[in-house]
Amino acid sequence: MTIKEKGYTHWDGEFLDKKLPWWPITRYGIKLTFRKKFFKLIFPMSLLPAVVFLAGIYVSERLEDFKFMFRESVPFLQINPAYFKTYLVDNFMLNIMIIIVIFCGAGLISDDLKHNSLQLYFARPLKKRDYFFGKTAVIVFFLFILTLVPGLVFIIMKLVFAGSFKFFLSYPWLPLAVIGYSIFVTAFFSFYVLFLSSLSKNRRYVVILIFGIYLFSDIFWAVFYEYFHNHYFSLISLRANIQQVGAFIFSQKTPYPIPWFYSLLVLTAICVLAGLVLKKKVRGVEIVK
Amino acid sequence: MKSVIETEHLSKWYGNVLGLSDVSLQIEPGITGILGPNGAGKSTFLKLISGQIKPNIGTSAIKGERIWNNYRLFSNIGFCPEQDAFYEDLTGWQFMTGLLRLFHFSPSERESRAREALEIVELMEDKDRIIKSYSRGMRQRLKVAQAIAHDPEIIILDEPLNGLDPLGRRKIIRLIKTYKSEGRTIIVSSHVLPEIEAMTKRIILIHQGKIFAQGDIHYIRDLIEAHPHIVSVKCSDPRQLASKFIQEDFVLNVNFSSAEDTLLVETNNRDKFFSLLPPLIVKHNIEVEEITSPDDNLQAVFDYLVGK
Amino acid sequence: MGRKSSKLKVFFLISILPVVIALIIKVNQFLSDRTPIQGIFIFNNMSVVIYLQFLILLLALFYGTSVCSEEVEGKTLTYLTTRPVSKSALLVGKYAAYTSLAIIMTSIGVILSFLILNLDDLLNFSLYKTLLRDVVVLSLGLMCYTAFFTFIGTIMKKSILFGLIFSFGWENVIQYFPGSTQRFAIVHYLKSLLPVPKTGRFSFLMVRLEPSSPLFAVFMIFLITGVFLGLACILFSWKEYIFED
Repeated sequence: MTIKEKGYTHWDGEFLDKKLPWWPITRYGIKLTFRKKFFKLIFPMSLLPAVVFLAGIYVSERLEDFKFMFRESVPFLQINPAYFKTYLVDNFMLNIMIIIVIFCGAGLISDDLKHNSLQLYFARPLKKRDYFFGKTAVIVFFLFILTLVPGLVFIIMKLVFAGSFKFFLSYPWLPLAVIGYSIFVTAFFSFYVLFLSSLSKNRRYVVILIFGIYLFSDIFWAVFYEYFHNHYFSLISLRANIQQVGAFIFSQKTPYPIPWFYSLLVLTAICVLAGLVLKKKVRGVEIVK
Repeated sequence: MKSVIETEHLSKWYGNVLGLSDVSLQIEPGITGILGPNGAGKSTFLKLISGQIKPNIGTSAIKGERIWNNYRLFSNIGFCPEQDAFYEDLTGWQFMTGLLRLFHFSPSERESRAREALEIVELMEDKDRIIKSYSRGMRQRLKVAQAIAHDPEIIILDEPLNGLDPLGRRKIIRLIKTYKSEGRTIIVSSHVLPEIEAMTKRIILIHQGKIFAQGDIHYIRDLIEAHPHIVSVKCSDPRQLASKFIQEDFVLNVNFSSAEDTLLVETNNRDKFFSLLPPLIVKHNIEVEEITSPDDNLQAVFDYLVGK
Repeated sequence: MGRKSSKLKVFFLISILPVVIALIIKVNQFLSDRTPIQGIFIFNNMSVVIYLQFLILLLALFYGTSVCSEEVEGKTLTYLTTRPVSKSALLVGKYAAYTSLAIIMTSIGVILSFLILNLDDLLNFSLYKTLLRDVVVLSLGLMCYTAFFTFIGTIMKKSILFGLIFSFGWENVIQYFPGSTQRFAIVHYLKSLLPVPKTGRFSFLMVRLEPSSPLFAVFMIFLITGVFLGLACILFSWKEYIFED
């Protein structure tokens, strides 16, 4: 039977490369995260420490007004790099980050594996790096809201409340430190979470791995230290390594008397391993042996 | 014949979405086809009568016994679900024997039943491969196998022919017909009309959660008096034949095929038309090659009923 | 339905990690000049603490919530509910299977840790009473926590987060509350069955403010297990599970 009528036409124009091919993945990932009921409650609560620290910056500029609340001098209200390090690097913020990445990151790749969506992704003009970038950007979005944004806001508000650039002139490197630390901790958590998410189709299992490995690395460091009294065992703990590097970035004394770059090497090695596994795990066709 | 499955005012809501509305049915032994488009409520109906979900209103009973939470009935019921879900890390054999364990069969009986079911669906050669490596058709056949392995009297199959190749479909249809001849009750759902037509004449048409029609397909067709019948006559001189019919009041419309060798008559009284046709053919010496009713099939009935 | 899954291997490896720690410590003891610390001391201070306060919680959380959630998320529940077996029996059967698995995994780790740490004192049969007691306590803990998380998995869709908050929030905090409040933590009853280690960095983790009597503690563990398992059975029998498309 001959085709008498062509109901279609060939596209004679050029196919334009989409500028941000990973953006739909990121946008959808962020939307999906906000759809979770508990997350709508937990995310605002995770910003409470930022509000408290911001209040601290305000109080520090108005100490005279608030003197009646404090009998002695209040060293903790000195706004210096240690203050930023306390907000960004201490245990509570790292724990908050773990909870947030569990919500936004645990299902990023595991849900795609469960629903066989990878074939759909890579049947489009999407490169693997765009896929990873899109997924990573979801985690980056949320962690930057916890780290980079408050950090920069603290600096700006300090200058605003002080009414002078004195703070900035005293610590001109501080904005770079905030940016650098935010990028560092976000990059690590992105690799960490995406790696674990790629290991299973079961999101519950991934959540347990994310939380369990983070917690257990800390427990094992404590156990080994209890027995060996050797600080080098802190290299086992993910938390301790992050805090070592964080302390260095903010020019503070590292919590453990070992070189900070050992911690950086350990975390980098984890990221490299994660990258290699991700490259292998994420592919358009599943091979079943 | 005494009905095996009875439902009374069966209704189901999913939140604000009505899944099934006021369905009262009696299903007798033999093959009953549940027909409807996607989202019509076929799966909802089958899940309700197999006790997988609870009705919001109404009751569903098998052999007079309420089905919800009545696990004892399942020794005589086989259910093939629509969803493609398995214990992916198990082999086909492990899957079959594992499920048969729940029937308290002896180990030797479990094995023989699993073997028989897998042979029927032609999966014996692949029984030791993990289910994850099965093709779509193999997975569908495995679903059917687990539904029939324990030799149930009542078999409920939700879209059993999905993903099967034409040969596979024929084999399953033949199997279902064999079960019918053994006196079993088989309820089959599908949205593919020729499949249902190939299996049974007894159908239930569902659309938007409601029963549109129930019974023998031809009987339903005849009931639709408002919808004219179309009769196709392939003959040597369709125009001459048409001129003889055109004056009759029960002939509503006359058309010719593009090849000009077939006459299509639309009539609201098929009986009168067929009583008039033979004398006309003889009188005017018209050679008739073929007479068919293109709309006396499930598609036409369904299309009419759902208002297409 | 048995599941040959990589998750089982991973959890087994996790439960073996304290054995690795024990091995490292023991090797170090052999190689170093320091006066070795008694193996049973390390065992009580370290291994049992890691298992009791962390490992059994994670295992129970995963397996307990999986009893119901796994079948619902995997849409394989239909295959089980269309068999002549009551829903309660299905739930209890899966609970028993997962609890047994977890107990075996934990016991292997505990026994190996014990043997390694007490390598030079294996003929001291009085130590085996400690081992038996610890294995029994951890098994009771797994039984109780898994029953609780089975119930949670039956009523909640997103049970993991609640489980984590319960395990590492509630259980870790409430047990240190004075008076009757501490009795609202399962770990209080488990710790009541164990002696307090006298010294060590982790001795605070084993502290109980006002321990219950061992008999009462065992009774409560069984009661909690029975109540939550019973509730889970009732809910599972009456709840309908609609699979997400």
